[in-house]
Amino acid sequence: MSRLTLAMPSKGRLMEQTTERFARSGLVVRKVGTDRGYRGEIVGMPTVDVAFISSSEIAAALKSGSVHCGITGEDLVRESMSDAATRVIALAPLGFGHADVVVAVPACWIDVTTVNDLAEISGAFRRVHRRWPRVATKYMNLTRRFFADKGFGDYRIVESLGATEGTPAAGTAELIVDITTTGETLRANSLKILADGVILKSQANLFASNIAAWTPEAINAREALQARLHDPD
Amino acid sequence: MTTEVSQSFEALEAQAQKLMAVFLKAGHEAVAPAVIQPADVYLDAIGESLRARTYVFTDPDGAELCLRPDLTVPTCRLHIARNGSAPKPARYCYNGPAFRFQPQGADEAHPREFRQAGVERIGDPSREVAEAEIVTLIVKAVEVAGLRDWTLQTGDLGLFRSVLNVVRLPARWQKRLGDAFLKPGAFRAELKRLSQAPRGQRSDLPQELLRSLDPGDPAASEAAVMNFLDTKGIELVGNRTTGEMIEHLLSVLADETADRLDPETALMIDRYASVSGPARTAGDRIAAILKDVKGGPGAALDVYDRRLALLANAGIDLSRVTFSAEFGRTLAYYTGFVFEVSAPGLRADGPIAGGGRYDGLMRAAGANVDIPAVGGAIHTQRLLAAITRDAALVAP
Repeated sequence: MSRLTLAMPSKGRLMEQTTERFARSGLVVRKVGTDRGYRGEIVGMPTVDVAFISSSEIAAALKSGSVHCGITGEDLVRESMSDAATRVIALAPLGFGHADVVVAVPACWIDVTTVNDLAEISGAFRRVHRRWPRVATKYMNLTRRFFADKGFGDYRIVESLGATEGTPAAGTAELIVDITTTGETLRANSLKILADGVILKSQANLFASNIAAWTPEAINAREALQARLHDPD
Repeated sequence: MTTEVSQSFEALEAQAQKLMAVFLKAGHEAVAPAVIQPADVYLDAIGESLRARTYVFTDPDGAELCLRPDLTVPTCRLHIARNGSAPKPARYCYNGPAFRFQPQGADEAHPREFRQAGVERIGDPSREVAEAEIVTLIVKAVEVAGLRDWTLQTGDLGLFRSVLNVVRLPARWQKRLGDAFLKPGAFRAELKRLSQAPRGQRSDLPQELLRSLDPGDPAASEAAVMNFLDTKGIELVGNRTTGEMIEHLLSVLADETADRLDPETALMIDRYASVSGPARTAGDRIAAILKDVKGGPGAALDVYDRRLALLANAGIDLSRVTFSAEFGRTLAYYTGFVFEVSAPGLRADGPIAGGGRYDGLMRAAGANVDIPAVGGAIHTQRLLAAITRDAALVAP
């Protein structure tokens, strides 16, 4: 692959926002072949091949180096790579797809406002309930790394792939790690964010893979793309 | 991805036979616990940090399993499967594969898959006697295998707890400092907080409610909390009870109103935590630190001295032994005495052998009573590498 392969979200809101953001920088993305196909091009950038992939798979493609560049959320990149800093470079924050990955506990836990408080209550919780407090999340790696950095280890993760905010009320977890934009869903589920519980302020970014095979042609294409996206006119 | 476990499999097996012969002769029964283990016991004993270093997976039935990262937990489970919670003492030994994810990438010294040979002694109440015998057995085994040059690093988490007791720290702070001691960085911050932080640190908590709580009247405290939640329009959600919240709030309140830890005691604890050096002189240093305590260091140091004397009597060269108060606090599930055997020059590759006392593990593995246990294991690939290197240095 001497040309540059750019992975873009293949569906949903993230796809629309990517297309809009590119358009504002004067970059027109077009599908190649049938409208249902998964390949595309950028008008005026003949050395760029666009691959439409689902956004969670974009992180995997960047990780393995099967694409040069990709547009996806920082949360997905950091979650899927324990060594994100060596595998990918964030080239340009794109100003959409904003989401904070946060630790949230029931609002009725009036005695808990920080991760340190969680560490203080988990022993007593275990004595009463005969298990460690459970954290429902789809961000297992981000959660583990964040709590390890804070010196909190007495909890158990339960993987949750949907309706995570509902798990404390349903009794299947005690607290959650999830994304939020306005905090509205958390409030509706009687949850509150810990004062030091923001794990990551995420947004969509143009990432480059360090693992991919970079030809001079691909590097030129990346620099051109980066310059355009940095400076919308 | 690595395609073979070791390029010197036959040499490893020959070495393992020598190690096992030493263990068997000391009355340890050879066992082969299962390679695939329930992740639960490990997660309970070690916590979620396990996932960072272990191959945890879900089987087609949805059960969460792991490839054993050591043979200690599997041996504990084997013992319980055989005896239930009956306090039947046992001595086991093993030689088999263990698996660890290497976040920095696997190499010769840090393989994903390695062979461990070790011993576990379960249900033996003779504390420092059993500890000294396990250390001696491990050292003897690596010497029989051919290792000449080694050093022995020791630590004792139980001694730290004894020191907190000897300096008469309130039970609440003993528990908190004990927990903090296991987390690098957290311990000195906590010590500083207890001795220096001004009162009124928790302005983030509802002060009026806090002051209205009465430790002697749980019903009134409960009503105060419910009233507070009602007024704020906060719904009671989840499994955690208001009783648990009140208990925590009361401990916060007790801290807010208590006297600070006096600077002399804080200094003593800090100086103890800094003790590190030859094991023969560490006891005297600890005694000197605690000399002004009412009643003196007492039984805690007697145990230290007795263990060291037992090691000397067993023929361990004490000039090779060091003690560090902080050593062992990041090692998984140990609760008391801990040790590591290293080969000088290969230290960066990690220890050749290690072990210690793990009195909480049998309960985590399913026993319904506390059962004392102590053990040690040898990283056989590292041992072989150290012996091979020794031989190369001696060769003309």
